[in-house]
Amino acid sequence: MSVFILPAFLIFLIVFSLVKRVKVYDCFLGGAKDSLSLVKSIFPYIAAIFVCIELFRASGAADKLADLLAKPLAFLGIPKEITQLMMLVPLSGGGAIALLEDIIARYGVDSYIARCAACVSGASETVFYISAVYLSACKAKKLRYAIPVSLFCTLLGTVTACLLCRFL
Amino acid sequence: MNVLFTTLTLVSLTAMLIFSPAEAFPTMIAGVKSAITLSLKLLAIYAVWLSALKMMQATGLDKKLSKLLRPVIRRLFKGESEDAYDNISVNLSANMLGMGGVATPAGIRAMTAMQDGSAKATHNMILLIVINATSIQLVPATVIALRAAAGSADASDIFFPTLIATSVSTLSGIILCKVLSLKKDKSNDKTAALSLQFEQKKSDFCKYITQKRHAK
Repeated sequence: MSVFILPAFLIFLIVFSLVKRVKVYDCFLGGAKDSLSLVKSIFPYIAAIFVCIELFRASGAADKLADLLAKPLAFLGIPKEITQLMMLVPLSGGGAIALLEDIIARYGVDSYIARCAACVSGASETVFYISAVYLSACKAKKLRYAIPVSLFCTLLGTVTACLLCRFL
Repeated sequence: MNVLFTTLTLVSLTAMLIFSPAEAFPTMIAGVKSAITLSLKLLAIYAVWLSALKMMQATGLDKKLSKLLRPVIRRLFKGESEDAYDNISVNLSANMLGMGGVATPAGIRAMTAMQDGSAKATHNMILLIVINATSIQLVPATVIALRAAAGSADASDIFFPTLIATSVSTLSGIILCKVLSLKKDKSNDKTAALSLQFEQKKSDFCKYITQKRHAK
């Protein structure tokens, strides 16, 4: 069922573009051009986080942390292998993608862990970054309950994702 | 992020210095190497997906979605200006479609339109931040493409779990915000009254001290 969603969506887009007389080829050129600058802008973040992740893991600190959090997370039904991902997601979007790629390579793309990780990174956002950027032009700087609520709800989403990945 | 990066790197490097000093530098290089491979993959993914987004914008599909969202937004964010509603609907619809570049400027404009001049964010401003920070993403294109690139049997089978998980987080975010916006006002009044009393006592005390000094 979900296999058809993306191709069907793309066909719909192209047909809709034809109806609206939008030049499809030009759109593709524009998209490809934008992708270069987008990747150029996120590369430093990915490089930094990869260095950090590799070091963190090679030093054995990552395992210690995962072991420490394993029990409370297991209670919520979250596998300990995605502990790092959970903690990185609110901080850095590029970093989360990097870690997801790492988890996929490590555990196999269709494993339960990798599917969980994919859902978690697909369903959450960079909480801290968003709240900082959105307030950047405002006089108001006090966020009050915004960040705790966002983080808590992201956690709820993570629990849901891990639960659903067992069945769906 | 700066603090986090520095501490993590420092702690890990120190640990490696003790246990496996020879591997420290190669590990860092290996990290950047995987970053380059991932960047190339992302370049391919974005080239396709961004062109789809270009089509959505050129055909005005994003504007259609924002019109659809409008009544819901009106009800969620009560008592804001038309300008704010415009920006919120553009922000949320762009975010749902994964167009971060369009969503962010609209979000910032919406925030400035909603501020009341005080140093504290209003309830509606917090609601907008929470909705964005727990955003509903209709198509997690990057994740699906990464899975496909890794040779998954069915790369898009995470579509429904992801959609449900992100809806759960956003809905619970909205509900929590609404509950807190009711409660917080009361406690704010209380703390405001308390701090006012405290200020009064403080100034009384200061007056008393200065009077005493003058007397001496």
